[in-house]
Amino acid sequence: MAEARDDNEPALVERWLQDQQHWQKTLLAYLDSMVKNEDFLVHVGNAMRGSLLAGKPYPTAPPPGTPVTETAADARLDQLLFALHQIQGQLNDLSMTVAEMRNGRASSPAPQASQSRRADRAKRSVAPAAAVKNRKRKGRG
Amino acid sequence: MSPSDRERELEALLALSQRGRAKLERLHEILTSSGHYGRGATPAAVVYRENKLRLLRLLDENGQPRVGPPVLFVPAPVSRYFIIDLLPGRSFAGHIAAAGFDVYIADFGEPTSEDRFCDLAYYVDGLVRRCVRTVSALSGEPKINIVGYCLGGTLALLYSALHPESVTRLVLLTTTVDGDVEGGIAWVAHKMGLAGESYDNPRLVPAAEVKSWFEMLSPGANSVIGRVNDLWDRLDDPPERLRDVRTMATWVDDVLPAPGRLLAELYQQFGPGRNKLMAGTATIGDQRVDLSAVTMPVMSVSAEKDTIAPPDGVDALKKIVPHAQVIRLPGGHVGIVAGRSAPALWQRVVEFLQA
Repeated sequence: MAEARDDNEPALVERWLQDQQHWQKTLLAYLDSMVKNEDFLVHVGNAMRGSLLAGKPYPTAPPPGTPVTETAADARLDQLLFALHQIQGQLNDLSMTVAEMRNGRASSPAPQASQSRRADRAKRSVAPAAAVKNRKRKGRG
Repeated sequence: MSPSDRERELEALLALSQRGRAKLERLHEILTSSGHYGRGATPAAVVYRENKLRLLRLLDENGQPRVGPPVLFVPAPVSRYFIIDLLPGRSFAGHIAAAGFDVYIADFGEPTSEDRFCDLAYYVDGLVRRCVRTVSALSGEPKINIVGYCLGGTLALLYSALHPESVTRLVLLTTTVDGDVEGGIAWVAHKMGLAGESYDNPRLVPAAEVKSWFEMLSPGANSVIGRVNDLWDRLDDPPERLRDVRTMATWVDDVLPAPGRLLAELYQQFGPGRNKLMAGTATIGDQRVDLSAVTMPVMSVSAEKDTIAPPDGVDALKKIVPHAQVIRLPGGHVGIVAGRSAPALWQRVVEFLQA
């Protein structure tokens, strides 16, 4: 048996037309956001991958065969930078110890490896980069 | 097909069209609202910086440091820190602070190319140790409480074995200690070729590669089709709920690149078939890690449905630290810390720290 239809309810065709108008509004809202907000496209791209990650693109691997551009010099520079970070840590340790001594507290917890051994290690990791620098200088001279 | 059948079919199609449009409108609303962008929920001051690390001290509602026993949170250095301070009213660290503790969080930051050389010693006997020293200096307490999450728990355990005199109580959350228990991220990484990471010539492992290991934990649900289906279903949820989902997605999907040397060392020491924590042969730099030095009260929590750190591999702590209190809670790896059921864990931690 057919359901009784409310007299005020628009006909099916009218409701289809209304729905089409709503769709147009929805699509225009998306287009408007794409134009006004640079991040919006990123967010739509993420949503198309099933993610609501905000603020940055969903992490994806580069296409296979993308060349790795790192050179040996980059690696040595990174080693040097990392050695500097290690030295920064040792200096921070030192200043913490000085502050503790000034405040009359026992120094704790001290690094397990001895400072000299750490300094040696830092020197060793800097050494290759330094050596390369020297070699380059000699070459130029 | 009779006219009434055709009409019914058109009605059904119209209803489908309206539902789809409503979902897209909701998606538009969510995508144009401000996202989480990776900040902690609780006001905090940076009290120490080193390399990419920031040590955060949570502040009270007046912007002042809190007074109370100090607690240092150590999250995993391969993911964003803010999972433990996710949203107002849903912050693990905020809950601990509200219970009367002076809370600090180590944010290891995002590694860049030179950080591929970071190893366990750099984290444990470098960054974590200096964080503890800073907390100790600021709070005036020679011993502090440490709460480690996931790989951050591994760092906290190793630190506590090297410097037990500076730790009051230790909490380990979903921290794998038995690498031979099958499943979880260590096994996936093993199967995906982590054995190939070089200690001597490390690379910065790209975020997309790290993400792919997590996706392999449940390949069906994590496939693009699986994720899109899941999101489409969720678009029926109310906007507030979707904003929560978005916040969580901003943590789960925003993985960090990982230092290759750290991964190589973790694999060589704790990975499947190596398992040096269980064997008592783990080392940090040139020092042997003596777990018998871990005499402070320890609580370890595993999650029943954890696919990243299988609960059996977490609960195995009892075999190497026999006095440890071992608890298994319902939920998953992230859910027990920041999900809707997380307050159960937070309260257990408060009770343990106050004991």
